[in-house]
Amino acid sequence: MREILSGTLIMIGAAFMLLGGIGILRMPDLYTRMSATTKVATLGIGAIMLGVAIHFGELEVLTRALAVIALVLLTTPVAAHMIGRASYFAGVPLCKQTVVNELQGHYDLRTHELESLALPELEPQLLIMRVQISHRSAFAGKTLAETGLRRHYRATVLAIRRGSYVIPNPDGDVQLLPGDELILIGTPEQLREAVKAIGG
Amino acid sequence: MIGMTQIAWIALLVMSLAVVLAFVRLAYGPTLSDRVIALDLIGTLAIGIIAVYAMVWGLPVLLDVAIVLALIGFLGTIAFASYLERRAGP
Repeated sequence: MREILSGTLIMIGAAFMLLGGIGILRMPDLYTRMSATTKVATLGIGAIMLGVAIHFGELEVLTRALAVIALVLLTTPVAAHMIGRASYFAGVPLCKQTVVNELQGHYDLRTHELESLALPELEPQLLIMRVQISHRSAFAGKTLAETGLRRHYRATVLAIRRGSYVIPNPDGDVQLLPGDELILIGTPEQLREAVKAIGG
Repeated sequence: MIGMTQIAWIALLVMSLAVVLAFVRLAYGPTLSDRVIALDLIGTLAIGIIAVYAMVWGLPVLLDVAIVLALIGFLGTIAFASYLERRAGP
């Protein structure tokens, strides 16, 4: 009886592992490949470890098997999340069949900060985003009016954070300095264009 | 009647095939991230292979190796991820 249970679990685990191998080879982009490998590897390791523990039928083996299962269950999602996040910033492409990319426009690709919707019930969506003016930025030293953020890019500057103080609702004649942080509001497309223009 | 040893060898064979498939992805890429997850999967497969191997040879001590491998694989992937992220942005 124990043999049958152990053998079945090991075969299930091995089958999951093979699925992981097929998944990493056949899935169309990195993110779906990761989805296949992490889930399948976690399940595969879980089944195989349980099968081995049942085969030995000793407490010390069971403890080790459970330790491996716990480790894999805890570490695999964290590692996959970090790889996925880093790859998204690195510009690893999504497959052509992707229907919706819900992250689009919500990440500040320069500061790696996730931004939330300013007014989630509105359509089109409005985002509030923080962007730093670096000393290399084309906007450093210009006034707000000269940058054309409002006129050309349709992104409104809500406030400027300069060191420890904040300039709320800045006028067009406020001069931007390197190190300033702009708090912008606009649609994801407008903000993307604005961030591109701010550059640096 | 198939015994435990035969089942274990079949499992080892199937997992080795999975390693080969992951290795194709590791060699082919196309991005660095693909290679990192392929390496990660090979590490996970190695844990499974070691566990079944421990069973075949009746050596439960080998499971300690599996624990260490699980830890090191995680640390390696985290290191790769932080390197990838640093390379991606400022």
